[in-house]
Amino acid sequence: MTAVLEGFDLVKRFGATVALGGVALRVGRGEAVAIMGPSGSGKSTLLHCLAGIMKPDGGEVHLLGQRIDTMRERERSALRRTRFGFVFQFGQLLPELPAEENVALPLMLGGVSRGDAVRRAREWFGPLGLGGMEGRRPGELSGGQAQRVAIARALATRPAVVFADEPTGALDQATGHDTMRLLVEATRGNDASLVVVTHDPQVARWCDRTVEVRDGQVLASAGYGAPLPPGGHGAGGYGDSGDFGDFGDFGDFGDSGVSGVSGADGTATRILPGVNG
Amino acid sequence: MTGLLGLSWRLLRGGGRGGLLGAGLTAVAVAVSTALLLFAVSANLAFQGRAEREAWRNPVAADADAVAVQAVRRDYVRDRGVTVVDVAALKPAAAPPPGLERFPAPGEVWFSPALAELVRELPAGELADRFPEKIGGTVGDEALVHPGELVAVRGQEPGSPVMTVKAAQDPLTGTAPTRVAGFTGEPTGDAQAYQALALIATVLMAVPLLVFGGAAARLTVARRDQRLAALRLVGATPGQVVLMTVAEAVITAAAGAVAGVALYGLLTPLLGGIEIAGGSWFAADLWPGVPYTMAVLVAVPLLVGLSAVVGLRRVVVSPLGVARRETPPAMRVVRVLALLAVLAVVPTLGAGTAAGVVAVVLGLAFLAINLTGPWVVGLIGRITARTARRPARLLAGRRLIDDPRAAWRTVSGVAMTGFVAGFIGLLSPGSGLLGDADATTLRLTVPAAQVSQLTGEARERLSAAGVPARVEVTGKGGDRTLAVTVTEAARVDEAVIDRARTALDGMVPGRGATSEADEELFGVLLLEDVGTGTVVVLTVSFLVAIVSAGITAASSVLDRRQTYALLRLAGTPLEVLNRARRAETLVPLAVMGGGSIVVGMFCAVPFSFSAMNVSGLTVLLACVVLGFAGVAGAGAASAPLLRSVTANPAPRPD
Repeated sequence: MTAVLEGFDLVKRFGATVALGGVALRVGRGEAVAIMGPSGSGKSTLLHCLAGIMKPDGGEVHLLGQRIDTMRERERSALRRTRFGFVFQFGQLLPELPAEENVALPLMLGGVSRGDAVRRAREWFGPLGLGGMEGRRPGELSGGQAQRVAIARALATRPAVVFADEPTGALDQATGHDTMRLLVEATRGNDASLVVVTHDPQVARWCDRTVEVRDGQVLASAGYGAPLPPGGHGAGGYGDSGDFGDFGDFGDFGDSGVSGVSGADGTATRILPGVNG
Repeated sequence: MTGLLGLSWRLLRGGGRGGLLGAGLTAVAVAVSTALLLFAVSANLAFQGRAEREAWRNPVAADADAVAVQAVRRDYVRDRGVTVVDVAALKPAAAPPPGLERFPAPGEVWFSPALAELVRELPAGELADRFPEKIGGTVGDEALVHPGELVAVRGQEPGSPVMTVKAAQDPLTGTAPTRVAGFTGEPTGDAQAYQALALIATVLMAVPLLVFGGAAARLTVARRDQRLAALRLVGATPGQVVLMTVAEAVITAAAGAVAGVALYGLLTPLLGGIEIAGGSWFAADLWPGVPYTMAVLVAVPLLVGLSAVVGLRRVVVSPLGVARRETPPAMRVVRVLALLAVLAVVPTLGAGTAAGVVAVVLGLAFLAINLTGPWVVGLIGRITARTARRPARLLAGRRLIDDPRAAWRTVSGVAMTGFVAGFIGLLSPGSGLLGDADATTLRLTVPAAQVSQLTGEARERLSAAGVPARVEVTGKGGDRTLAVTVTEAARVDEAVIDRARTALDGMVPGRGATSEADEELFGVLLLEDVGTGTVVVLTVSFLVAIVSAGITAASSVLDRRQTYALLRLAGTPLEVLNRARRAETLVPLAVMGGGSIVVGMFCAVPFSFSAMNVSGLTVLLACVVLGFAGVAGAGAASAPLLRSVTANPAPRPD
């Protein structure tokens, strides 16, 4: 499986606190990876470093073979806008914009005309079960509906990777279940990779594999996420290589010890804009 | 009750850096408001004080119980007026005029400090020779309009020529001898005119201040409503929530009000230097006194508390009021009708309308603009959102629709100033009307019977004083005018004119030689004062407007920091966010500022001396430029705040 996103030997400190102590992670194309760990373990910091939100104090991050951690803020910002999508626990929708404009906003920021952006945004509403809610404002949506709008927004720009930070944290179990199913299916259906930070094993079950973070380290037992030996991989070493022999086959989820291949119920519906409406 | 207040205090203190910053901004806003409110109150008291101190020189006739005779004459030295008061006691027990320790004996003169100094400074032939009397003492401050005022009080015999001239005199040059029962007098018409102007200026300044205070109060609420809604959710009663909010707002406002009094104290020397009616102010003039200060100190926090209650209505009504953002109902058109109703009254006003009525109508116009503002902002928002092609415009338009009141708060100060500028811009008389009058010809009214004798005497006196001058007689009837033109052979300057004036002094009892320029001095001063007043009112308004814009911009960033942070995290360029913030301020500013200027001009039409003139247009143009620059600058000042609150959206090491 082609690597889309890779982090090597990532170190991040906040004052005397070591949030990440030399972490490595690789995400394959179309793969869904759950980063699990208790509060304060460093899992959100890992997500922020991988997504170019934070600059790590040490180590490297590569997207499709291109090093991104050394980019300037402006470039990383453009990268986040065009190549990444984000889903958070809550609060990411602009309360004053109707749902469809929330979804269209990243497209408009990318230079798409307003008419086109809104038209393309609307195509997501049917497949995500949001038909008829295009004109509603976030305050008029339920928590689950708002998260689905956020999913549509994250995918609207056709990103390479979607990052989700506790996407079901504010939802009840049934709604959380639905939301995760839609998130995984929609991401996969659009050939995007998914990195989910969660402390909920039920959420992690939806992903292809799980990486366990504790005290700023990836636990060795998580397999693929084990820290890399220093200098073990040169920068750009994976960009043109489909061989990840050191870490095993990305398609072989059985070794990860985490259940869940393509959804807890084994279905593999493809959610594409304007298709399932 | 005590427990709730204690909790409010702890919430205020424990609000974290953001909370403290919000409370600090509120306190600063309240401090500025309080200082300016004290200034507005003091200005009125100061003009009242001037009117009272000047009243004794405006005698009220009292034939029956008269104890003294009083005559007042306007004299001039350099380009300043000198008030010469002649008094003669009719009864031994006559009380002295204000500011004098005793009744001046005949042949005595008492100078105000400024006149005494000038008498010493200038050559005797230019001023001192006009007062050959023995110096009796100094006229005290309680009898002077301003510290630099030139006043001379001369003691006379009741039968002396100065005290017995019968001829009615031009009120511009003085008051004929009048038998008075005391030196109480009554305020002059000029003083009352100044008081009326001060009252109108106060309304022009006070309404924006109150609006500003209200905005500051709601700033506290905006920072708290999330938490107070949470308190409601866990079961706090509406009464408890209201009490806690009021307590928090009032505590903050009280601190701000005390700081405002201190700030005003620091500003007093600066404000006391503003010259109105030819002079600056006594320090005591601008001190409003303990009762008024206490009233302001109590009223400001109460008003802020009241605004906080109004701002919290939503939360109190529904615990979910702020947790769930729904499309707000459109505002009612009745707001616009209120403005139209006030404007309908304006044409019924005129120059003869009582100042109080004008002040009330102006105040109502102000409040009506403030009511209409949010409605218009909402409308602008809908148009902006509908026509937006770029994200920044779309964000700005939606934000305006979402909370038109908040957007209005940002621009209301400048819009109000636009109203003031529009009003004053049309009201200011043209500067070209006065100021080029002849200063080289002195005129002295003389009885027709003595014309030839006095003409000869005038020539002798001028010659003795070394003033080359041509003396001509003009006019017909009982009074003739001696026109004394200082010839061009001499270098015609103020000193020569003053020498001629001094030479002619006392030639005709109770009359002095004055030029056209002297007689226009009052008009020139009044024009200057209108100009000074305009600058003061506009400065205050702009200060309020720009501080208000800055504070609301900063609080808006703080209130929406999570949204901004997440937007930036998702790759939205900071520039787009800043552009959206600019658009959501400048678009309504352009519409509302322009609209307010037009309304202000409309309100001034019944009082305008002339059509729109150059100076009025200059003031207006300066206001428009300053307003935009100020609000844009104030908004830009919070750009670093936006950068910092969005720089690290996830600082927690989790």
